[in-house]
Amino acid sequence: MSAPAIRREDATTTVGMAIFLGAVAMLFAALFFAYAVMRAQAPAWPPTGQAPLPAGTLGLNTLVLVAASVVLHAARRWDVARARRGAWVALALGAGFLAAQAAVWRSLVQAGSGPASGIYGSVFFAISGFHALHVAGGLVALALVAARGAGPRRLAACTLYWDFVLAVWLLFYAGACLR
Amino acid sequence: MLSFSRDHKVIAKQFLALGLAFLAVGGFMAMLIRWQMAHPGAPVPLVGHVLFGASGGIISPAAYTSLFTMHGTIMIFFAVTPILIGAFGNFCIPLMIGARDMAFPTLNALSVWTMAAATAVLTASFFVPLGAPSAGWTAYATLSTAVGTPGLGQTLWVVAIYLNGTSSVMGAVNYITTIIRERAPGMTWFRLPLTVWGFLMTSILNALFVPVLAAGMVLLFFDRVFGTQFFIAGSTIKGGGDPILYQHLFWLFGHPEVYILILPAWGIVSDLLSFFARKPAYGYRVTVGAFCAVTALSSLVYGHHMFTTGMSPLLGESFMVLTMIISVPAVVLFLNWLGTLWRGAMRLDTPMLYCLGLVFTFGVGGLTGLFLADIVADLYLHDTYFVVGHFHLIMAAAVLLAIFAGITFWFPKMFGRMMNERLGKLHFWLTIVSLNVVFGLQLVIGYAGMQRRLYDPSVYDFLRPLLPLNQLISRAGFVLGAAQLIFVFNFFWSLWRGRVAGENPWEVGTLEWTVPSPPPHHNFEELPVVHHGPHELGNPFVRARLGRDWLGQNEAPELAAPPPARSDEPEAAEPEVAS
Amino acid sequence: MPYGPPRDVSIDGHLVDGAFRYLTVATSICFAIVVLVLAIAVLFHRGRAGRVAHYTHGDRRRHLALSLGVALALFVGIDAVLAGRSLGHLETRFWAWPENAPDVVRVEVTARQWAWVFRLAGPDGRFGTRDDVVTMNELRVPVGRPVYLKLRSRDVVHSLYLPSFRTKSDAVPGSTTRLWFQAREPGSFELGCAQHCGVSHYRMRGELRVLPSEEWRLWSNRASEDGRLRYDASAEQAADAWDWDQG
Repeated sequence: MSAPAIRREDATTTVGMAIFLGAVAMLFAALFFAYAVMRAQAPAWPPTGQAPLPAGTLGLNTLVLVAASVVLHAARRWDVARARRGAWVALALGAGFLAAQAAVWRSLVQAGSGPASGIYGSVFFAISGFHALHVAGGLVALALVAARGAGPRRLAACTLYWDFVLAVWLLFYAGACLR
Repeated sequence: MLSFSRDHKVIAKQFLALGLAFLAVGGFMAMLIRWQMAHPGAPVPLVGHVLFGASGGIISPAAYTSLFTMHGTIMIFFAVTPILIGAFGNFCIPLMIGARDMAFPTLNALSVWTMAAATAVLTASFFVPLGAPSAGWTAYATLSTAVGTPGLGQTLWVVAIYLNGTSSVMGAVNYITTIIRERAPGMTWFRLPLTVWGFLMTSILNALFVPVLAAGMVLLFFDRVFGTQFFIAGSTIKGGGDPILYQHLFWLFGHPEVYILILPAWGIVSDLLSFFARKPAYGYRVTVGAFCAVTALSSLVYGHHMFTTGMSPLLGESFMVLTMIISVPAVVLFLNWLGTLWRGAMRLDTPMLYCLGLVFTFGVGGLTGLFLADIVADLYLHDTYFVVGHFHLIMAAAVLLAIFAGITFWFPKMFGRMMNERLGKLHFWLTIVSLNVVFGLQLVIGYAGMQRRLYDPSVYDFLRPLLPLNQLISRAGFVLGAAQLIFVFNFFWSLWRGRVAGENPWEVGTLEWTVPSPPPHHNFEELPVVHHGPHELGNPFVRARLGRDWLGQNEAPELAAPPPARSDEPEAAEPEVAS
Repeated sequence: MPYGPPRDVSIDGHLVDGAFRYLTVATSICFAIVVLVLAIAVLFHRGRAGRVAHYTHGDRRRHLALSLGVALALFVGIDAVLAGRSLGHLETRFWAWPENAPDVVRVEVTARQWAWVFRLAGPDGRFGTRDDVVTMNELRVPVGRPVYLKLRSRDVVHSLYLPSFRTKSDAVPGSTTRLWFQAREPGSFELGCAQHCGVSHYRMRGELRVLPSEEWRLWSNRASEDGRLRYDASAEQAADAWDWDQG
C-alpha cells in the first residue's frame, strides 16, 4: 500500500474540521468573555456619549453572510461544476461582507469611535476585526474549492466553517445592535 | 532538514532539531540568571563583554528582566512544546497506532513551519531598539502593554506566542483526528499505549485552551498596536480596562498548559516503567481515567495563580478546594507507577533510570504543590522562590527527564542506532543530583522569603544571609548545565557511531518495534492487525510458548491465552490477562 | 532554622507557619514511603538471572480499591484536614476585615513604579484631606492594633509583601485590594514588592516601623500637623487618595 492520498473524502475531514472549529470557538468564546467582563464593569453600556453604530449596514452584512451560507448549503446538492460556481458566488458575497465591514470601520473611526476611543470601540473593533480575519481565511478556502472543485465531504466541511463564521457574527450582531 | 516534508517522521526530526536548539538557548539563559544570583553585579565571564558590552560585561537590570522573560518563554513554548509534543507526538503516534502517517500530512508540515516562523519572530525580538521582551513569560498587563513596556520587542513576543499557539492547535487537530480515525484494525481504545493516551489528552487541552491564550494575545496586541483598552487601567494612563481580565485569560490557558506539558511525560513514563519492569502497566484503565480526570479538571483550578489579586473569597476558596481535588487522580496514577515497579524484573537501562528519576522528582514537586494550593500558606509563598522550585521540579525536571528517557528510548527507532549506555548513565546521575539540589534549595530560599525576579536580592537585609544558598544553587546549576553537554555529545556521537540497532532492541510489544529502525517512508509493509494490549510482559503462557517475556501487539491472539482446558486436568488458575 | 523565614511578628503569621509545618511533616512522611518503595523495587526487584516478574495488570477490583483507597485516605487525611483548618482561618482571621474595630488604623497604599506611598487619614478620619499623613516607602503603625490597608496602583501590578507578617497583596491598577495585619511587638521590618513591575522591581523596598502605641500617636499627630502646614492640593501625591468607603 502506498502513502495515503493527500485529499481524502471521508469522516476524517469532518472530524478534523469539527476539532478545528472547537478550537476557534474557544477563541471567540474568550473574546466574548472579555466583552462580557468589560460590559459588566462599565458604569454604562454603551458608554455615555458613544456614537451609535450603523445598524443598517451591520444588518445588511448579516444578510450577506446568511446568503453565503445558504448558497453553500444548496451547492452541496449540486454537481461539481455547478457547486464550483456556487463557491464563486459565496466568495463574492464574503468579499462584499469584508468591503462593507471596512466601510463601517472607516465611518466609526471618522466619528471618533475608533479602537483607541475607549472600551466600546475596543470591543467592537477587536471582535469584528478578528471575525473579519476568519472571513478572509474562509475566502481562501472558498477560492480553493472554486478553482479545484471539491468532493462532498470537503464541501460539507467548508460549509460547516461558513456556518460557524455566521454564528459568531450573529452573536456579535446581537450584542452590538440588539438591546 | 529544511525540506517541506509531509512525512511525520521527518517533521518529528524538524521539531526535535528546533526544540533542542532552543533548549540550549534557554538553558544558557538560565546559566546567566544563576550567575547574577550568585555574583550580583559581577561581569559575566567569557561571554559578558560580548552579550552585555554596553554595561561592561555586567548583566544590567533591564537585561535581567529580559533574561528571565525569555528563559521562561523559550523553555515552555520553544523547547518543551516542540520536543515533547511536536517531535515525540509526531514520531510515535502513527507508528504506535499502526498508521502510515497522520490524518492531515500537509497540515502537519504547516504546523512545524508555523513553529519555525514563530521562532524567527521571537529571535527578531532580541534585536530591536527598545530591547527584548521583558514582562515575564506571563506578561501580565499593564506591564506588558505599551504603557509598561513600550517598543517592538514585546509586540513581537505577542506575535511569536500567537504563531506558536497556532502551530500547537494545528498539531492538536491532527493528533486527535489521527488517534480517532487512523488506528489499525484491533487497536481498540484500551490497547493504545499510554503514551498515545497522554498525547490525546494533551491535544484536547491544546485545542481547547491554547485558543484562550490566543485571545489574550489578540487583545494584548490590539492594546499595544491599536490603542484599545482591554487591559489599560490606573491613573498614569487612564483606561476602562481590567488588568485582571488578562490574568483570567492567561491562566485559563496557563494552568491547562502545565498539564499539556506533563501529560505526554506521564504517558511515556507509564509505558516505559512497564517495559523496563517487564510487567504490565498497573491499573491501565485507572491510569487512563486519571489522565481524563486531570484533563477535565485542569481548567477549573487556574485561580490558584491569582490568590493575591483580590478575588472574592468564595471564588478563591473554590479554586483552593478544586486544586486539592485535582491531586487525587495524580496520586492515583503515581501509585499505579509504584504498582508497576513492584515485584517486577527491573532492567536498569538508561531510559529506566530517567523514568525512576522522574518518579522521584515528580513526587517531590507534586507534593510541594499542596503548599501552594493552600491559600493561607500561599499568601506568604506566592511570588517567592518556593513557586520557582515547585514548578521547576514538576515542569522542568520531570518533563526534561521524560524527554531524555524518550529520546534515549526512541533514538534507535528514529536513527537506527543505540545511544551510548555509559554516557547515558553518567548524564543521568549528574543531572538528577544537581537538579534536585538546585530546585530543592529553591524551595528553601522561597520559604525563607526570597521573592522571584529580583535582580539583586541584597537590596533586602533579610535576604542577604541567603547569598551562600544562592551561590550553592548556582554552582549546582552550572554542574547541571555542563552535564547536558554529555547528552549533546552522546546524541551526536551516536548518530554516527552508535551501535547499530535491530528492529526491537528493548524487547517490547508496541507496534513501532515491528518495523525496521529507522522505519521506511510508509511505516508498515502491511498494516498490522492488533490482538493484544501494549504491556503484555511477563505473561507466563507467552513464556511457556515462546520462551520470552514479551508479546507483540500484533502477534497471534491465542499466544497470550491459557492453554485450552483438557478434560482430565484440573482447571488451571487463570492469571489476569487483559483483552 | 539557619535559612528560615524572618521572625514572625504578627498575630496570625503563626497560622501560616503552622500550615507549612503540617504540610512538611505530612508530605515528608509520604515521600519517605515512596522512596522506600522505590529503593526496595530497585534493589530487590531487579531483573537478575532467573527472576520472573509478577504478572498482573493491576486491574482487579482489589487493586483499584488499594489505589483509590490510598489516594482518598491521603486526600482526607492531609488535604481535607488542611483545607478545613485553612478555610476556617481565612474566614475568621485573614479575610475578617477589621472594618468596625474601634482601634483600627486605616492606610491607603498607592503602589507606583517604583515606590510605595502610604497615606494615613489623620485626626479627621477622612482620606484626601489636609491632615493626611503621607509617607513614601515607610509605613509607621502602632503595635497591638489592627492595621487595615487598601491598595491601588498608578501604573502596573505590584504586590505589597510583608515577610515578617507572612502575607502579601497585589496592588492592581484600576481596582482596590485589601490586606490587614496586627503587630505583636515593636520594631523595624522590611517590606517589598513581590510582583514583577519593571526594571527597578528589585529596589521597591520599604520599611514597616511598628511603634509603641503612645509613641505612634505622638508621631502621627505631629506628622498630621506637618502635613496640614505643607499641604499642596496641586501636588501629584494629593491625587493618590480616595474616599475609603468608595472602594
